Amino acid sequence: MTARIIMRLRVEALEADTPEVLRLTLRHPRRPLLPAFTAGAHVDVRLPDGRTRQYSLCGEPGEAETWQLAIKREDAGRGVSRWLHGEVTAGGDLMVSAPRNNFPVAEGAGRHVLVAGGIGVTPLLAMARVLAARGEAFTLHFCARSAALAPLLAEARAVCGDRLVTWFADEGRRFDAALIGPAEAGAHLYACGPERLTEAVLDHARAGGWAEENLHAEHFQATPDENFKAEPFEITLASTGQRLLVPADRSALEVLREAGLSMPSSCELGICGACICEYRDGIVLHRDKVLPVAARQHRMTPCVSRARVGVTLEL
Amino acid sequence: MPDTAVPTHIEGFEHPAARIAAEVEGGARGWKGELLHIHIAEAASFEMEALSEATCVAGRGIEGDRYFLGSGTYSPKPDVREVTLIEQEALDALSRNDPPLQDGPITLKPEEHRRNLTVRGVPLNHLVGRRFQVGEVILRGGRLNFPCKYLEELLGSPVFLPLYNRSGLNCSIEHGGVIRPGDIILPLD
Repeated sequence: MTARIIMRLRVEALEADTPEVLRLTLRHPRRPLLPAFTAGAHVDVRLPDGRTRQYSLCGEPGEAETWQLAIKREDAGRGVSRWLHGEVTAGGDLMVSAPRNNFPVAEGAGRHVLVAGGIGVTPLLAMARVLAARGEAFTLHFCARSAALAPLLAEARAVCGDRLVTWFADEGRRFDAALIGPAEAGAHLYACGPERLTEAVLDHARAGGWAEENLHAEHFQATPDENFKAEPFEITLASTGQRLLVPADRSALEVLREAGLSMPSSCELGICGACICEYRDGIVLHRDKVLPVAARQHRMTPCVSRARVGVTLEL
Repeated sequence: MPDTAVPTHIEGFEHPAARIAAEVEGGARGWKGELLHIHIAEAASFEMEALSEATCVAGRGIEGDRYFLGSGTYSPKPDVREVTLIEQEALDALSRNDPPLQDGPITLKPEEHRRNLTVRGVPLNHLVGRRFQVGEVILRGGRLNFPCKYLEELLGSPVFLPLYNRSGLNCSIEHGGVIRPGDIILPLD
């Protein structure tokens, strides 16, 4: 996770979209427009106690006066959705981050196949809005237990028309991933929903010869920090081969300094990036908020991040 | 509200940078500046909010700001952070891409740079170890501000290098009071 501006937004309206899904309309209390977002983008919703969870923006992409979120009550989750269902009131505040998109629509595609399972429809509905407006060819497969439990169904119908194909279990219609079929030139596939569905879709597509770069899926992961338990591990210095033990109650940065290495640092909270160093040969448990995902394969932030068993640092 | 702690600040002149600067000749005299904007944020990463007046409390900060409340990114680490200032002249230079350190001009709006006070006509880099007044409030320059990668992440803009050495001044409050945009800023030492 990387840093993002957090805004205190006003809850302009809230309504039950289905018995399990709460739909929120959010507005900035002082500015006419919210930051622009692209289809597939999500925001972090943050509770007063600091817990955060990611939710896709399901309204019209672009620069809008209001944002739409659809929040399913997950009784087995960490409690964020339960809190939102119980505590959010119209006219109240909600802390929401600036948007980020890890699940964008492919540019220049010939056709788009969207597969939604339940609440997984939220980013795909935003994509369908853009594709419909651009006149690009697409199909939205929407799987749910029943029409009554399918979130945002009326809007999906209005946006997609006959490009929406519904698969409601209570009607005896179950989506079969084999429908994905073999790869077609220029076609892109997007899946969002329960892992069982997205994995089945991706497995069939791969077996059908779809190229990896034409497959898109989104999984939101819980912030690992809450249950993080520090364990001891060993650092090997690449230059000298020296081995240093990092006890569970100390940071790698402290141990490196004690060993006489001159380590730059500033925040010592995993935020500023001053102490970042290169590593190899190890599984690093990244706990910083500064390194981009792409850099985590070879760089770590020793003030807060740790390793499983051992790691070699390029020092 | 996010978790807050009792904030710990280092008094400006207790910072090593200020202690050294205070013992040597220097500073800058004969200038007169203006307070252009006041911004605060309630907690780390929260967007900055413009104020038309603000209350400065000696030893604490600006009422309602993250470093007053102890909810700032760097609040767990004691430092000089009661009030931070930046020069409008530095922001103007960024918007001209001067010096040309990046691909092109960078517009950093007053609500984006995350310093509390945007000022014009104030030689901030010469005020480490010096006292100066902003309206009725007296500030002590503790250390130069230093740009941070965290700001680049928040803004999604490569501001680290162009802000180097002109990222502003971190101060403590010697004498509190109410400040407003338009207040005159004057040297005291």
